[in-house]
Amino acid sequence: MNMNKALKIVGTVLKVVALAIIILLTIYPLIWMISGSLKGTQEFYTNIWGIPDAWKFANYSAAWSRAGLGVKYMNSLIVLAVTLLVIIPAVGCAAYAIARTNFRFKKAVYSYLLLGLCIPTGVLAIPIFSAALNFGLVDKLSGMILFGAAQCMAFGTFLLRSFFISLPKSLEEAAMIDGCTRFQSFLRVILPLAKPGVMTLVVLDGITVWNEYLLASVLLRTDAKMTLPLGMKSFADKYVTDYPQLFAGLVIVTVPMLIIYVFAQRSFIEGMTAGSVKQ
Amino acid sequence: MLTKKSNSVTLNNKRLKDKIFPYAMVAPSVIIFTLFAVYPFLMGIYISFFRWDGLSAMQYVGTQNYSNVFIDSDYWTALKHTFFYAFFVTVGKNVLGFILAKLMMDLVFAKGFFRTITYMPVTFSYVVCGMLWAWIFNPTFGLLNNFLSLVGADSLIMGWLSDPKVAIYSVMWVDIWRWAGFHMVLYLAGLQAIPKDYYEAAEIDGAGPVSKFFKITIPQLNSVIVLNILMAVTGALVSNYDIVNVMTGGGPFGSTEVALTYIYRNAFEFYNLGKASAMSVILFGLTLIFGAIQIFSMTRDENYDS
Repeated sequence: MNMNKALKIVGTVLKVVALAIIILLTIYPLIWMISGSLKGTQEFYTNIWGIPDAWKFANYSAAWSRAGLGVKYMNSLIVLAVTLLVIIPAVGCAAYAIARTNFRFKKAVYSYLLLGLCIPTGVLAIPIFSAALNFGLVDKLSGMILFGAAQCMAFGTFLLRSFFISLPKSLEEAAMIDGCTRFQSFLRVILPLAKPGVMTLVVLDGITVWNEYLLASVLLRTDAKMTLPLGMKSFADKYVTDYPQLFAGLVIVTVPMLIIYVFAQRSFIEGMTAGSVKQ
Repeated sequence: MLTKKSNSVTLNNKRLKDKIFPYAMVAPSVIIFTLFAVYPFLMGIYISFFRWDGLSAMQYVGTQNYSNVFIDSDYWTALKHTFFYAFFVTVGKNVLGFILAKLMMDLVFAKGFFRTITYMPVTFSYVVCGMLWAWIFNPTFGLLNNFLSLVGADSLIMGWLSDPKVAIYSVMWVDIWRWAGFHMVLYLAGLQAIPKDYYEAAEIDGAGPVSKFFKITIPQLNSVIVLNILMAVTGALVSNYDIVNVMTGGGPFGSTEVALTYIYRNAFEFYNLGKASAMSVILFGLTLIFGAIQIFSMTRDENYDS
């Protein structure tokens, strides 16, 4: 019995240690990135572990102006916002129709959209370039938006459909008896109830779109049109020695998605959980 | 008479509206998906039969691009790296994600806080992760080698990204590091959904931790495991361009060259878009099976008429 107790304590200690190591592995590089971004160039090489002697916030403004982050930030924000504004309504409507109405080609349409899971951006990169040439979308933010949105259709439809299906039918029936049209009942009754699903999509698609690098390297050609990931890469290639500034740039690039995630995370975790366990 | 007629007109009108409604609802998605995913995909197949540098006129060459690819040993090496990479990254993400979830389950305090922290790297781009870790792996000034010499493990000090034997593992680690938290969230959800009385009943029957794990946890998690593995496989097979490009650019000596970086190089450095398209089509064929399994597992036992 005592032996058992001792084993249990050892087990708990081991668990805590393991968790601490993993947490440290996750969080330390981030802290280190932030502290590195505030060091002087000399100090960066000599004081590897510690916090900076003097906090050089000037690194941030220097990185901002040298990498031309202003324009790139704007580009990234536009692409993020518009892509989400295209994806969420399009996918919401499609998922609703597939989940809640009956029409002849329902199964065909759903299977067709799910095919998107089979043709990911990686495989499509080169063909997308030629398609963009045909559409006149090379070096245009609209190209990033449209090709990016197309990539998110399959998973979005799948996720929201599973949310809509789980809601009781009596809800919309009641709304329609009260005089709502089908579309109104979808907008006012069903959609608000699927908020965790929508937030999950906002976070997951937001991460994908904000960080999109391959599509950007294929489509965007000039400095004025670059989004942040591409801009950071070209900054790093040009000013390879100034690491504190590079790190400052990395922090700047990282912040918006972190904020969105932290704010949306309650709904997001709920949505992910529902989406994965229901199967 | 008149009212009856107008009634039947509105009825017809309503029926027509009801009929059109679903099609109007799916139209935007279908149109965007068709124009910006399916059309490029078909274009890719078409171009793979042409010689094309991206600027001048295309020239039909039949299956020559494909025969060029088949004798291009660099491509097959890159494909080998791709599958090697995908295998270890899938295992790594799932094992680490599962261990994290299991540890989280037993945690009595600050669960939400730890979950938030472990998920944070998921929101980072590969560009950020790659640059950050490239510096951690830096042979002289990097954290890792400095840490190793600090704890006296000098024999483990190496050029994490400059040694051709080691570089691909270093890159894999960064991919695993970024995504472990994502898989943790899914596993955690699965673990929390297992009814507690299953374990209590097993304990009464005298089951130990090992048999509880294999007889209850694993079978109950089945669908979550499948989902996690499929997501990790498809992710690792076709989204490793970013991380490899940022961290090693395919080097040293091509030891981390994966299919996507090699395809990109052929298209935009050698200006051979025909061959690059042929290689994309082959890669698509090889990964199709995983995509198909994913669709199958996502739609199985579902009722379309609900």
